[in-house]
Amino acid sequence: MSGFQIRFKEPTPNRVLIADDDPVMTHMLTTILKQQHCQPVVANDGREAYRILQSDSRFKAAILDMSMPFLEGLDIIHYMRSERRLRRIPIMMITAEQNIKLMTDSFSAGATAFLPKPFTPEQLESAVRLLIGSQNRRRAN
Amino acid sequence: MLVEQVARLSNERNGRLAKATGSITNDILDVATLRAFEKVESEDGSDFVIELIDLYLETTPPRIQAIRKAAFEKEWAVLKHIAHTIKGSSSTLGLHRVAQVCQELEATSLSSSDVVGGLVKALESRFVEAREALMAERKRRLQ
Repeated sequence: MSGFQIRFKEPTPNRVLIADDDPVMTHMLTTILKQQHCQPVVANDGREAYRILQSDSRFKAAILDMSMPFLEGLDIIHYMRSERRLRRIPIMMITAEQNIKLMTDSFSAGATAFLPKPFTPEQLESAVRLLIGSQNRRRAN
Repeated sequence: MLVEQVARLSNERNGRLAKATGSITNDILDVATLRAFEKVESEDGSDFVIELIDLYLETTPPRIQAIRKAAFEKEWAVLKHIAHTIKGSSSTLGLHRVAQVCQELEATSLSSSDVVGGLVKALESRFVEAREALMAERKRRLQ
């Protein structure tokens, strides 16, 4: 019996997919997410985000820029909502667009939250907390 | 709804910020907007605002050059996309005059080369102003 050990399962990190082609924004998002004890995974455009999502679904949330080269944020939402393994992941759209239609289009496509640029660190932190919380609440129900 | 909660939190925060910072806003650089990022802790313990300034000053000039090239080659979709990207980071850092001219580039019908050329020149000169303001803020933070 001397080899008996209790092992606790490693806590799953809050992995968050970030897709944005602006290095200023990705640096801002990754730093703030790390402060929130999240593990960011960065895609520098829509195509890279799509490739990551094809083989990896272990995300607590996704933050997508609306306007990206190759594939737009809305294209990624449509893909994520059409794949069963990705459907549970809450998605936040961020955009510098001031067109209200884009917000309604995002929600219609399946976005969970919408954060217009410019945003402050507090706004992003609150949004991330709510976004990750929304998945935890969904799991609890 | 999630979006309403975020909007409420941000309005409360903006109200507090306005009271705290008074009138240190100017046209070229809204210092209060930039300094809101002071509370973010950089991974290596350095000044996060300086990191953002350096990254913006490193990545924006090639984008402006790409806008000029796109204008010359009449690649309007490329031009509008790059203007949109610069607008996002500029407005987030409080560089509203740069963001405003990018907004105009995005919104213009692009039918007139003169109009586009004028807006590209305006973007270049506003970026020079923005760079000076950011460098002054950077210097102040290092003192």
